[in-house]
Amino acid sequence: MCAGERTGHNVLILGIETATQQVSVAIGGHEGVLGLFEVARGRRHAETLIPAIEFVCRQADITLDELGLVAVDVGPGLFTGMRVGLAAAKALGQALRVPMIGISSLDLLAFPHRRSDRVVVPVIDARKGEVFYAMYRQVPGGLQQVAAPRVGPVEELVADLLARSQDVLCTGVGAHRYREQIIDGFHCEIADTAFPSAGPLVQLAHARALREEWVSPADICPVYLRAPDARINWATRARAGTGGGAHRA
Amino acid sequence: MRSTPSLSLRASTVDDTLAVAAALAGLARAGDVVLLAGEMGTGKTTFAQGFGRAMGVDEPITSPTFTLVHSYPTAGPTLHHADLYRLEHMSEVADLALGELAEFHGIVLVEWGDVAAGAFGDHVVVRLGHVDGDDAARTVVLTAVGGAWARRWGALVEATAEWCDQ
Repeated sequence: MCAGERTGHNVLILGIETATQQVSVAIGGHEGVLGLFEVARGRRHAETLIPAIEFVCRQADITLDELGLVAVDVGPGLFTGMRVGLAAAKALGQALRVPMIGISSLDLLAFPHRRSDRVVVPVIDARKGEVFYAMYRQVPGGLQQVAAPRVGPVEELVADLLARSQDVLCTGVGAHRYREQIIDGFHCEIADTAFPSAGPLVQLAHARALREEWVSPADICPVYLRAPDARINWATRARAGTGGGAHRA
Repeated sequence: MRSTPSLSLRASTVDDTLAVAAALAGLARAGDVVLLAGEMGTGKTTFAQGFGRAMGVDEPITSPTFTLVHSYPTAGPTLHHADLYRLEHMSEVADLALGELAEFHGIVLVEWGDVAAGAFGDHVVVRLGHVDGDDAARTVVLTAVGGAWARRWGALVEATAEWCDQ
Protein backbone atom coordinates (compact mmCIF):
# COMPACT_ATOMS: atom_id res chain seq x y z
CA MET A 1 0.00 0.00 0.00
CA CYS A 2 1.54 3.27 -1.10
CA ALA A 3 -0.41 5.35 1.35
CA GLY A 4 2.73 7.11 2.52
CA GLU A 5 2.52 10.30 4.55
CA ARG A 6 -1.09 10.89 3.58
CA THR A 7 -2.29 8.37 6.16
CA GLY A 8 -0.79 10.05 9.21
CA HIS A 9 -2.71 11.97 11.84
CA ASN A 10 -3.71 14.61 9.29
CA VAL A 11 -5.18 12.16 6.83
CA LEU A 12 -8.04 13.48 4.72
CA ILE A 13 -10.85 10.95 4.39
CA LEU A 14 -13.52 10.69 1.72
CA GLY A 15 -16.65 8.95 3.05
CA ILE A 16 -19.20 7.34 0.72
CA GLU A 17 -22.57 6.17 2.02
CA THR A 18 -25.22 4.63 -0.25
CA ALA A 19 -26.64 1.71 1.75
CA THR A 20 -30.18 3.12 1.95
CA GLN A 21 -32.18 5.36 -0.36
CA GLN A 22 -29.94 8.25 0.72
CA VAL A 23 -26.72 9.19 -1.05
CA SER A 24 -24.27 10.78 1.37
CA VAL A 25 -20.71 11.98 0.76
CA ALA A 26 -18.40 13.62 3.29
CA ILE A 27 -14.80 14.74 3.57
CA GLY A 28 -13.09 15.09 6.90
CA GLY A 29 -10.21 14.17 9.12
CA HIS A 30 -8.68 15.28 12.39
CA GLU A 31 -10.63 18.56 12.18
CA GLY A 32 -13.89 16.61 12.00
CA VAL A 33 -16.26 16.75 9.05
CA LEU A 34 -15.20 19.46 6.58
CA GLY A 35 -17.90 18.93 3.98
CA LEU A 36 -21.07 16.88 3.70
CA PHE A 37 -23.59 16.41 0.89
CA GLU A 38 -26.65 14.24 1.13
CA VAL A 39 -29.89 13.73 -0.72
CA ALA A 40 -32.55 11.28 0.42
CA ARG A 41 -34.94 11.58 -2.50
CA GLY A 42 -34.58 10.54 -6.09
CA ARG A 43 -32.98 7.16 -5.52
CA ARG A 44 -30.58 7.56 -8.39
CA HIS A 45 -27.44 6.48 -6.59
CA ALA A 46 -25.46 5.88 -9.77
CA GLU A 47 -26.29 9.29 -11.23
CA THR A 48 -25.92 11.24 -7.98
CA LEU A 49 -22.81 9.82 -6.33
CA ILE A 50 -19.95 10.98 -8.57
CA PRO A 51 -21.26 14.56 -9.01
CA ALA A 52 -21.76 14.64 -5.22
CA ILE A 53 -18.11 13.67 -4.66
CA GLU A 54 -16.97 16.35 -7.10
CA PHE A 55 -19.21 18.93 -5.43
CA VAL A 56 -18.01 18.23 -1.89
CA CYS A 57 -14.36 18.23 -2.96
CA ARG A 58 -14.73 21.49 -4.88
CA GLN A 59 -16.64 23.27 -2.12
CA ALA A 60 -14.19 22.10 0.53
CA ASP A 61 -11.31 23.13 -1.76
CA ILE A 62 -9.81 19.67 -1.72
CA THR A 63 -8.46 17.81 -4.74
CA LEU A 64 -8.72 14.04 -5.01
CA ASP A 65 -4.96 13.57 -4.80
CA GLU A 66 -4.99 15.10 -1.33
CA LEU A 67 -7.15 12.25 -0.04
CA GLY A 68 -5.36 9.70 2.11
CA LEU A 69 -8.16 7.24 2.68
CA VAL A 70 -11.55 6.23 1.31
CA ALA A 71 -14.21 5.07 3.77
CA VAL A 72 -17.38 3.34 2.66
CA ASP A 73 -20.54 1.97 4.21
CA VAL A 74 -20.47 -1.77 3.49
CA GLY A 75 -24.10 -2.41 4.50
CA PRO A 76 -26.35 -4.09 5.32
CA GLY A 77 -28.86 -2.19 3.22
CA LEU A 78 -30.18 -1.90 -0.32
CA PHE A 79 -28.14 -4.15 -2.63
CA THR A 80 -28.39 -1.79 -5.57
CA GLY A 81 -27.33 1.26 -3.57
CA MET A 82 -24.49 -0.51 -1.76
CA ARG A 83 -23.01 -1.76 -5.01
CA VAL A 84 -22.85 1.72 -6.50
CA GLY A 85 -21.10 3.04 -3.39
CA LEU A 86 -18.70 0.12 -3.09
CA ALA A 87 -17.79 0.18 -6.78
CA ALA A 88 -17.09 3.91 -6.73
CA ALA A 89 -15.18 3.75 -3.43
CA LYS A 90 -13.02 0.82 -4.56
CA ALA A 91 -12.30 2.48 -7.90
CA LEU A 92 -11.18 5.66 -6.13
CA GLY A 93 -9.15 3.72 -3.58
CA GLN A 94 -7.38 1.82 -6.32
CA ALA A 95 -6.81 4.80 -8.61
CA LEU A 96 -5.53 7.03 -5.80
CA ARG A 97 -3.54 4.15 -4.30
CA VAL A 98 -4.88 4.83 -0.82
CA PRO A 99 -6.16 2.37 1.78
CA MET A 100 -9.81 1.92 2.66
CA ILE A 101 -11.98 1.41 5.71
CA GLY A 102 -15.38 -0.28 5.50
CA ILE A 103 -17.94 0.41 8.22
CA SER A 104 -21.35 -1.13 8.90
CA SER A 105 -24.46 0.92 8.18
CA LEU A 106 -25.76 -0.13 11.62
CA ASP A 107 -22.63 1.28 13.32
CA LEU A 108 -23.20 4.55 11.46
CA LEU A 109 -26.83 4.77 12.61
CA ALA A 110 -25.87 4.05 16.22
CA PHE A 111 -22.94 6.48 16.33
CA PRO A 112 -24.95 9.76 16.68
CA HIS A 113 -26.52 8.26 19.82
CA ARG A 114 -23.24 7.25 21.44
CA ARG A 115 -24.00 9.40 24.50
CA SER A 116 -27.40 7.80 25.10
CA ASP A 117 -27.64 5.72 28.25
CA ARG A 118 -30.17 3.40 26.58
CA VAL A 119 -29.53 0.37 24.46
CA VAL A 120 -29.27 1.84 20.95
CA VAL A 121 -30.93 -0.32 18.28
CA PRO A 122 -30.38 0.79 14.67
CA VAL A 123 -33.02 -0.71 12.36
CA ILE A 124 -32.82 -0.71 8.56
CA ASP A 125 -35.73 -1.78 6.36
CA ALA A 126 -34.82 -5.05 4.61
CA ARG A 127 -38.15 -5.14 2.69
CA LYS A 128 -40.90 -7.75 2.79
CA GLY A 129 -41.55 -7.19 6.51
CA GLU A 130 -37.94 -7.84 7.50
CA VAL A 131 -35.36 -5.58 9.11
CA PHE A 132 -31.61 -5.49 9.65
CA TYR A 133 -30.74 -4.62 13.23
CA ALA A 134 -28.06 -4.75 15.90
CA MET A 135 -27.77 -3.48 19.48
CA TYR A 136 -25.22 -1.14 21.06
CA ARG A 137 -24.48 0.12 24.55
CA GLN A 138 -22.49 3.07 25.74
CA VAL A 139 -19.08 2.23 27.17
CA PRO A 140 -16.26 4.59 28.16
CA GLY A 141 -14.88 5.96 24.91
CA GLY A 142 -17.73 4.96 22.60
CA LEU A 143 -20.30 2.33 21.77
CA GLN A 144 -20.02 -1.39 22.14
CA GLN A 145 -22.04 -3.79 20.05
CA VAL A 146 -23.99 -6.03 22.43
CA ALA A 147 -26.00 -7.95 19.82
CA ALA A 148 -24.54 -8.84 16.43
CA PRO A 149 -26.23 -7.64 13.23
CA ARG A 150 -28.99 -9.87 11.98
CA VAL A 151 -31.89 -9.89 9.59
CA GLY A 152 -35.37 -11.05 10.51
CA PRO A 153 -39.07 -10.22 10.63
CA VAL A 154 -40.09 -7.20 12.72
CA GLU A 155 -41.70 -9.65 15.20
CA GLU A 156 -38.27 -11.12 15.86
CA LEU A 157 -36.85 -7.68 16.64
CA VAL A 158 -39.74 -7.04 19.04
CA ALA A 159 -39.17 -10.43 20.70
CA ASP A 160 -35.47 -9.58 21.09
CA LEU A 161 -36.34 -6.24 22.69
CA LEU A 162 -38.81 -7.92 25.06
CA ALA A 163 -36.23 -10.51 26.04
CA ARG A 164 -33.80 -7.76 27.03
CA SER A 165 -36.38 -5.54 28.71
CA GLN A 166 -33.97 -2.60 28.93
CA ASP A 167 -34.46 1.06 28.08
CA VAL A 168 -34.20 1.15 24.30
CA LEU A 169 -33.70 3.81 21.66
CA CYS A 170 -34.55 2.56 18.17
CA THR A 171 -33.22 4.52 15.23
CA GLY A 172 -33.19 4.31 11.44
CA VAL A 173 -35.55 4.06 8.53
CA GLY A 174 -36.69 0.56 9.57
CA ALA A 175 -37.70 1.83 13.00
CA HIS A 176 -39.68 4.60 11.31
CA ARG A 177 -41.45 2.30 8.90
CA TYR A 178 -42.45 -0.19 11.60
CA ARG A 179 -42.85 2.38 14.40
CA GLU A 180 -46.34 1.23 15.46
CA GLN A 181 -45.50 -2.44 15.39
CA ILE A 182 -42.34 -1.93 17.45
CA ILE A 183 -43.95 0.37 20.02
CA ASP A 184 -47.03 -1.87 20.31
CA GLY A 185 -44.80 -4.83 21.03
CA PHE A 186 -42.25 -3.11 23.24
CA HIS A 187 -42.53 0.42 24.54
CA CYS A 188 -39.43 2.36 23.51
CA GLU A 189 -38.30 5.64 22.04
CA ILE A 190 -37.80 6.06 18.28
CA ALA A 191 -35.09 8.56 17.30
CA ASP A 192 -35.51 10.94 14.36
CA THR A 193 -32.40 9.68 12.55
CA ALA A 194 -33.53 7.84 9.44
CA PHE A 195 -30.46 7.16 7.32
CA PRO A 196 -26.81 6.36 7.96
CA SER A 197 -24.71 9.39 7.08
CA ALA A 198 -21.23 9.90 5.66
CA GLY A 199 -20.53 12.36 8.50
CA PRO A 200 -20.27 9.66 11.19
CA LEU A 201 -18.59 7.46 8.56
CA VAL A 202 -15.70 9.91 8.25
CA GLN A 203 -15.52 10.38 12.03
CA LEU A 204 -15.46 6.64 12.76
CA ALA A 205 -13.02 6.00 9.93
CA HIS A 206 -10.68 8.67 11.29
CA ALA A 207 -10.61 6.99 14.70
CA ARG A 208 -9.77 3.69 13.00
CA ALA A 209 -7.20 5.29 10.71
CA LEU A 210 -5.30 6.51 13.78
CA ARG A 211 -5.04 2.85 14.81
CA GLU A 212 -4.06 1.98 11.22
CA GLU A 213 -7.05 -0.35 10.91
CA TRP A 214 -7.33 -0.01 7.17
CA VAL A 215 -7.36 -2.54 4.35
CA SER A 216 -6.66 -2.56 0.63
CA PRO A 217 -9.55 -1.92 -1.79
CA ALA A 218 -9.64 -5.61 -2.76
CA ASP A 219 -10.45 -6.55 0.84
CA ILE A 220 -13.57 -4.38 1.09
CA CYS A 221 -16.67 -6.59 0.78
CA PRO A 222 -20.36 -5.85 1.03
CA VAL A 223 -22.28 -7.19 4.03
CA TYR A 224 -25.52 -8.50 2.55
CA LEU A 225 -26.62 -10.21 5.76
CA ARG A 226 -29.31 -12.23 4.12
CA ALA A 227 -31.25 -15.24 5.26
CA PRO A 228 -29.51 -18.65 5.06
CA ASP A 229 -29.13 -19.77 1.47
CA ALA A 230 -31.21 -22.55 -0.06
CA ARG A 231 -31.09 -24.37 -3.35
CA ILE A 232 -33.83 -23.43 -5.76
CA ASN A 233 -36.34 -26.25 -5.85
CA TRP A 234 -36.45 -26.88 -9.59
CA ALA A 235 -38.65 -29.93 -8.97
CA THR A 236 -41.56 -27.53 -8.61
CA ARG A 237 -40.93 -26.43 -12.15
CA ALA A 238 -41.40 -29.91 -13.54
CA ARG A 239 -44.90 -30.10 -12.10
CA ALA A 240 -45.78 -26.52 -12.96
CA GLY A 241 -47.60 -25.35 -16.05
CA THR A 242 -49.40 -28.58 -16.79
CA GLY A 243 -52.54 -27.68 -14.86
CA GLY A 244 -51.96 -30.61 -12.55
CA GLY A 245 -51.66 -33.07 -15.42
CA ALA A 246 -48.71 -35.19 -16.37
CA HIS A 247 -45.33 -33.57 -16.88
CA ARG A 248 -44.55 -32.87 -20.49
CA ALA A 249 -40.99 -33.74 -21.41
CA MET B 1 -50.26 -12.47 2.50
CA ARG B 2 -53.77 -12.94 1.22
CA SER B 3 -54.40 -14.28 -2.20
CA THR B 4 -56.93 -12.97 -4.70
CA PRO B 5 -58.87 -15.49 -6.78
CA SER B 6 -57.14 -16.65 -9.91
CA LEU B 7 -58.20 -15.65 -13.36
CA SER B 8 -58.22 -18.45 -15.94
CA LEU B 9 -57.87 -17.39 -19.56
CA ARG B 10 -57.43 -19.14 -22.85
CA ALA B 11 -55.30 -17.64 -25.59
CA SER B 12 -56.07 -19.32 -28.93
CA THR B 13 -53.20 -17.76 -30.84
CA VAL B 14 -49.89 -16.02 -30.25
CA ASP B 15 -51.70 -12.72 -30.91
CA ASP B 16 -54.07 -13.55 -28.06
CA THR B 17 -51.14 -14.18 -25.72
CA LEU B 18 -49.64 -10.83 -26.76
CA ALA B 19 -53.01 -9.14 -26.19
CA VAL B 20 -53.47 -10.66 -22.71
CA ALA B 21 -49.94 -9.47 -21.85
CA ALA B 22 -50.84 -6.00 -23.12
CA ALA B 23 -53.99 -5.98 -20.97
CA LEU B 24 -51.91 -6.79 -17.89
CA ALA B 25 -49.29 -4.19 -18.85
CA GLY B 26 -52.03 -1.61 -19.25
CA LEU B 27 -52.87 -1.94 -15.57
CA ALA B 28 -49.32 -2.43 -14.29
CA ARG B 29 -47.52 0.37 -12.51
CA ALA B 30 -44.09 1.13 -11.09
CA GLY B 31 -43.27 -1.27 -8.27
CA ASP B 32 -45.00 -4.28 -9.81
CA VAL B 33 -43.35 -7.69 -10.02
CA VAL B 34 -44.79 -10.21 -12.51
CA LEU B 35 -43.59 -13.81 -12.32
CA LEU B 36 -43.87 -15.75 -15.58
CA ALA B 37 -44.34 -19.47 -15.05
CA GLY B 38 -44.78 -22.41 -17.38
CA GLU B 39 -42.76 -25.02 -19.15
CA MET B 40 -40.25 -24.40 -21.90
CA GLY B 41 -42.07 -23.33 -25.05
CA THR B 42 -45.30 -22.16 -23.44
CA GLY B 43 -44.60 -18.55 -24.38
CA LYS B 44 -43.11 -16.79 -21.38
CA THR B 45 -40.88 -14.68 -23.60
CA THR B 46 -43.79 -14.06 -26.00
CA PHE B 47 -45.79 -12.80 -23.03
CA ALA B 48 -42.89 -10.52 -22.05
CA GLN B 49 -42.79 -9.19 -25.62
CA GLY B 50 -46.48 -8.32 -25.55
CA PHE B 51 -46.06 -6.73 -22.15
CA GLY B 52 -43.05 -4.67 -23.24
CA ARG B 53 -44.64 -3.57 -26.49
CA ALA B 54 -47.67 -2.30 -24.57
CA MET B 55 -45.32 -0.30 -22.33
CA GLY B 56 -43.81 1.33 -25.39
CA VAL B 57 -40.59 -0.69 -25.64
CA ASP B 58 -39.42 -0.47 -29.27
CA GLU B 59 -36.41 -2.78 -29.02
CA PRO B 60 -36.95 -6.48 -29.56
CA ILE B 61 -37.37 -8.29 -26.25
CA THR B 62 -35.42 -11.53 -26.20
CA SER B 63 -34.98 -14.10 -23.49
CA PRO B 64 -32.38 -12.78 -21.03
CA THR B 65 -31.17 -16.24 -20.05
CA PHE B 66 -27.51 -15.36 -20.54
CA THR B 67 -27.49 -11.93 -18.98
CA LEU B 68 -30.02 -12.56 -16.19
CA VAL B 69 -31.64 -9.13 -16.47
CA HIS B 70 -32.38 -6.87 -19.44
CA SER B 71 -33.60 -3.34 -18.74
CA TYR B 72 -35.68 -1.32 -21.16
CA PRO B 73 -36.30 2.36 -20.48
CA THR B 74 -39.78 3.60 -21.43
CA ALA B 75 -41.54 6.94 -21.15
CA GLY B 76 -42.87 5.65 -17.81
CA PRO B 77 -41.36 3.03 -15.50
CA THR B 78 -38.29 1.08 -16.63
CA LEU B 79 -39.12 -2.49 -17.69
CA HIS B 80 -36.74 -5.10 -16.27
CA HIS B 81 -36.90 -8.57 -17.81
CA ALA B 82 -35.19 -11.29 -15.76
CA ASP B 83 -34.78 -15.03 -16.17
CA LEU B 84 -33.98 -17.36 -13.27
CA TYR B 85 -33.57 -20.46 -15.43
CA ARG B 86 -29.81 -20.78 -14.96
CA LEU B 87 -29.76 -20.04 -11.23
CA GLU B 88 -29.30 -22.74 -8.63
CA HIS B 89 -29.41 -20.88 -5.32
CA MET B 90 -31.82 -18.47 -3.71
CA SER B 91 -28.83 -16.25 -2.85
CA GLU B 92 -28.32 -15.70 -6.58
CA VAL B 93 -31.92 -14.55 -6.85
CA ALA B 94 -31.38 -12.24 -3.89
CA ASP B 95 -28.22 -10.88 -5.57
CA LEU B 96 -30.30 -9.65 -8.50
CA ALA B 97 -32.23 -7.40 -6.07
CA LEU B 98 -35.23 -7.49 -8.41
CA GLY B 99 -37.51 -6.06 -5.73
CA GLU B 100 -35.27 -3.01 -5.56
CA LEU B 101 -35.42 -2.58 -9.33
CA ALA B 102 -39.22 -2.51 -9.05
CA GLU B 103 -39.02 -0.09 -6.17
CA PHE B 104 -36.81 2.31 -8.13
CA HIS B 105 -39.60 3.17 -10.56
CA GLY B 106 -39.50 -0.12 -12.39
CA ILE B 107 -41.72 -3.00 -13.44
CA VAL B 108 -40.04 -6.41 -13.24
CA LEU B 109 -40.95 -9.48 -15.32
CA VAL B 110 -39.31 -12.68 -14.07
CA GLU B 111 -39.26 -15.79 -16.26
CA TRP B 112 -39.32 -18.98 -14.14
CA GLY B 113 -39.99 -16.60 -11.23
CA ASP B 114 -42.42 -19.02 -9.57
CA VAL B 115 -39.58 -21.22 -8.29
CA ALA B 116 -38.41 -18.34 -6.12
CA ALA B 117 -41.79 -16.76 -5.36
CA GLY B 118 -40.82 -16.46 -1.70
CA ALA B 119 -38.05 -14.02 -2.67
CA PHE B 120 -40.60 -11.48 -3.86
CA GLY B 121 -43.14 -9.37 -2.03
CA ASP B 122 -46.53 -8.68 -3.60
CA HIS B 123 -46.62 -9.98 -7.15
CA VAL B 124 -48.70 -11.47 -9.94
CA VAL B 125 -48.01 -14.97 -11.24
CA VAL B 126 -48.76 -15.57 -14.92
CA ARG B 127 -48.84 -19.32 -15.51
CA LEU B 128 -48.82 -20.40 -19.15
CA GLY B 129 -49.73 -23.91 -20.20
CA HIS B 130 -50.20 -26.00 -23.33
CA VAL B 131 -53.64 -27.03 -24.52
CA ASP B 132 -53.98 -30.67 -25.53
CA GLY B 133 -54.57 -31.06 -29.24
CA ASP B 134 -54.06 -27.38 -30.09
CA ASP B 135 -50.44 -26.37 -30.59
CA ALA B 136 -51.16 -22.65 -30.92
CA ALA B 137 -53.43 -22.29 -27.90
CA ARG B 138 -52.32 -21.61 -24.33
CA THR B 139 -53.97 -21.53 -20.96
CA VAL B 140 -53.07 -18.36 -19.07
CA VAL B 141 -53.76 -18.31 -15.33
CA LEU B 142 -53.22 -15.03 -13.51
CA THR B 143 -52.92 -15.05 -9.72
CA ALA B 144 -52.22 -12.07 -7.47
CA VAL B 145 -50.21 -12.67 -4.31
CA GLY B 146 -50.45 -9.92 -1.71
CA GLY B 147 -52.61 -6.83 -1.84
CA ALA B 148 -50.87 -4.82 -4.57
CA TRP B 149 -53.42 -5.84 -7.21
CA ALA B 150 -56.53 -5.89 -5.00
CA ARG B 151 -57.89 -2.63 -6.37
CA ARG B 152 -56.94 -3.37 -9.96
CA TRP B 153 -58.21 -6.93 -10.07
CA GLY B 154 -61.72 -5.99 -11.18
CA ALA B 155 -60.30 -3.91 -14.01
CA LEU B 156 -58.05 -6.81 -15.01
CA VAL B 157 -61.02 -9.19 -15.11
CA GLU B 158 -62.80 -6.73 -17.43
CA ALA B 159 -59.77 -6.12 -19.61
CA THR B 160 -59.30 -9.85 -20.18
CA ALA B 161 -62.99 -10.81 -20.42
CA GLU B 162 -62.81 -11.89 -24.06
CA TRP B 163 -60.27 -14.62 -23.24
CA CYS B 164 -62.13 -15.90 -20.17
CA ASP B 165 -61.92 -19.68 -19.87
CA GLN B 166 -64.53 -20.24 -17.17
